Amino acid sequence: MSALIEKLLPQVAGEDDGSFGALRRKAQKVLMKHGFPHRKTENWKYLPLGLLEKRTFSDAVPDRAATPSLPTYPFEAGVIHFHNGRLDPDSCRLPDGVSLTGMLPADIDVSALDDTGPADAFAWLNLARFDQGWKLRVDGRPDEPLVVATTCDDEFDVAVHPRLCVELAEGATLTLIETQGGPGAGLINGVLDLRLGARSSLTHVIERCFAETALIQRTAARVSDAAAYRAFILDGGGPLTRQDLVAELVSPGATAGISGVATLSGRALVDYHTAIEHRVGGTESHENFRILADDQSTGVFNGRIHILRGADDSHSQMNTGNLLLSENARINTKPELEIHAEDVTASHGATIGQLDDDARFYLRSRGLSEAQAIALLKYGFAAAVFDTMASGAVRDWLTDRLKEHL
Amino acid sequence: MSETQQQVEELIQSRYKAGFYTDIESESVGAGLNEEIIAMISAKKDEPEWMLEWRLKAFHHWQTMTGPNWAKLNLPGIDFQKIHYYSAPKQKDRPKSLDDVDPKLLETFDKLGVPLHERARLAGVAVDAVFDSVSVGTTFQKELKEAGVIFCSFSEAVQEHPELVREYLGSVVPYRDNYFACLNSAVFSDGSFVYIPEGTKCPMELSTYFRINARDTGQFERTLIIAEPGAEVSYLEGCTAPMRDENQLHAAVVELVARKKAKIKYSTVQNWYPGDENGKGGIYNFVTKRGDCREDDSRISWTQVETGSAITWKYPSCILRGDRSAGEFYSVALTHNHQQADTGTKMIHLGKNTSSKIISKGISAGKSSNSYRGLVRVARKADGARNYTQCDSLLIGKTCGAHTFPYIESANPTAKIEHEATTSRIGEDQLFYCQSRGLDEEEAVALIVDGFCKEVFKELPMEFAVEAKALLEISLEGAVG
Repeated sequence: MSALIEKLLPQVAGEDDGSFGALRRKAQKVLMKHGFPHRKTENWKYLPLGLLEKRTFSDAVPDRAATPSLPTYPFEAGVIHFHNGRLDPDSCRLPDGVSLTGMLPADIDVSALDDTGPADAFAWLNLARFDQGWKLRVDGRPDEPLVVATTCDDEFDVAVHPRLCVELAEGATLTLIETQGGPGAGLINGVLDLRLGARSSLTHVIERCFAETALIQRTAARVSDAAAYRAFILDGGGPLTRQDLVAELVSPGATAGISGVATLSGRALVDYHTAIEHRVGGTESHENFRILADDQSTGVFNGRIHILRGADDSHSQMNTGNLLLSENARINTKPELEIHAEDVTASHGATIGQLDDDARFYLRSRGLSEAQAIALLKYGFAAAVFDTMASGAVRDWLTDRLKEHL
Repeated sequence: MSETQQQVEELIQSRYKAGFYTDIESESVGAGLNEEIIAMISAKKDEPEWMLEWRLKAFHHWQTMTGPNWAKLNLPGIDFQKIHYYSAPKQKDRPKSLDDVDPKLLETFDKLGVPLHERARLAGVAVDAVFDSVSVGTTFQKELKEAGVIFCSFSEAVQEHPELVREYLGSVVPYRDNYFACLNSAVFSDGSFVYIPEGTKCPMELSTYFRINARDTGQFERTLIIAEPGAEVSYLEGCTAPMRDENQLHAAVVELVARKKAKIKYSTVQNWYPGDENGKGGIYNFVTKRGDCREDDSRISWTQVETGSAITWKYPSCILRGDRSAGEFYSVALTHNHQQADTGTKMIHLGKNTSSKIISKGISAGKSSNSYRGLVRVARKADGARNYTQCDSLLIGKTCGAHTFPYIESANPTAKIEHEATTSRIGEDQLFYCQSRGLDEEEAVALIVDGFCKEVFKELPMEFAVEAKALLEISLEGAVG
């Protein structure tokens, strides 16, 4: 993978990096020592990173289009817009109680990153190469959700490394909606840190679909006392989409839920690696992930539940259901449990199959066409994961988007 | 010996009854691993040239390999140059019958409850007894021969049936397969060979008992079972070793070949010395077991009860090549004190309408670590493949670990794969109920664990099921309270 190093690393800023210099140098050192992951790196074995090697990335971010277009949403929402990897200040509007500032070194925590091998190479690369990091601070309970939109245009053919930190103060509540998509053939290598203060609550919605853009995204949520993190994901994939999602439950009463659907067609490839870390007892988590793979697509789901020593009285449940809809599609799944504590309950279930013939026959007998019956069954299979989401405009929008994805 | 000391020793012995050492004169090759040692092992067995060539090819390849580091095991560095790769009881000529075998050896196996002599007749199980690097005797050979069945030591098979060995050796587990299988291919010393001819149902259970006795030696046996079309066989293996403070290495390879409509049932009760309660000593058990359902309608079933070994690294697998072939894996793995186990199975679906079933029960106690690692892979052309997997873990105590790493890969839309896993501890309500019925806590735990493992035990031949149940109870002693 040295070609990838040559391609992605050289623009690391030098001594004049200011306050991030030490962090960037460490990141570069780790990268130079261990390189990028390859097929034998356990957590990357299903992702053909060779796809990135084949691409050429321009050196400079393309000039900003006159007015980058922003997706529209059927609800009132604050917006932060990143276009071609850069913040577009003109289209940003923050809800009351939310502030946006430049990131400081103190906002970056690398303690969870592996510096002994290539497993977290792309997170180190982000640290080495990020241009301008941003920090969102949420106090209170904003009335409206906040959309973080990531878009790109046809000209986008660079590798960008966006970095955002979202901090929820004690008791704060936010619905954060990430929407991502666009036609460019670049690489987005993003890092999102979420910090949930005591008794705060974050509903985190991700909706994405890329035509040509490769995405490697690491999202890490640190959930403290009685705080609740809920992720709802709708992913249409792209030529190469890798999402690492880590939820650390660090204080009693912390809970995490991850509900996701990947609807794949064409040659789409998604590789989801989720990890829920129960660091203390009295914590709970649940996870429900579904992949529908059609055409020549590949879906990977690696879900990990880790209950650490001493985290007694933790409870966790994981389910992954997968539909293989074409003879050229492929699904790889690995639901892992790693339990070091007593008095816990942890379970997982995984299935891979196809649409139920009986159900299809029933729908046909009720007058639906074959296509309608299939569409309805696929929708029913996928939409069930959003059942745990509070009803309202955001959920309606997400289920509408699901119909469009399907 | 004072009475108290004797009592203490008896108590220790009661935990691991097979921990004694047989004082017998033996000959061994010097420590170390190189071409001369391999040639010496081959010469001692009077092997043909092709066999030595195969061993050396494996050795040269092994030198280019590095040990696996992906398992959830704290693997200590092994100095392969300090191990003796061959050790055998001294004898002038190979015994022609069991009557010629050193009585000390017969006594050893008798003490282990392995019927080699008169009792063998009553038990009705044919046994191949392997002591360190050699087979000391095989029972019922004559009766089996009448049925056309070949059951002998591997060394004997190389001499008597070279064409079969040459055809099938390494055809399921090639010498390049993995680090420990490659090492085994270079230095293997004995093991069992089974050949069931077409249409024959083996008239009795076959069994091999592996015993490590000598200090500083490793045991590297190889088992090859071939079931021709329509053949059926049930094979059992057991193993023990003396209690020592040093670790010893056991790296075995088992290859099964099932042809059209053949059935092979392979059962293991693994009771290598697990080390003491502080994690000192014990066997490193690194085993490659693989069955090839080579033709249509064949079936291979693995059943294992793993209670011993300091470290277990073992994944009995089935390659479901023939259409409608079936693979099964039933496993109970119990770890206690400082034991570590990373075990599971692989089911590779290649043929059409193949099916596989995996039932795995892990029990962790003390400071042990117990992992299930499994792979279910459905290839693109494996239409109608079906898999069901259930792996449950039971935790006893706050300092142990129970882990599940199932890999599920499907490339065929008509395949149906289901996987379930749970991890929990023994319920207070279950314990309370048992105790209210008059059982003490240890008996209650044993009963609950027995129930937890029932699905696997019922797959074992009866004698083994009784032994497995007793072993679990002994292994769990001291796990509660």
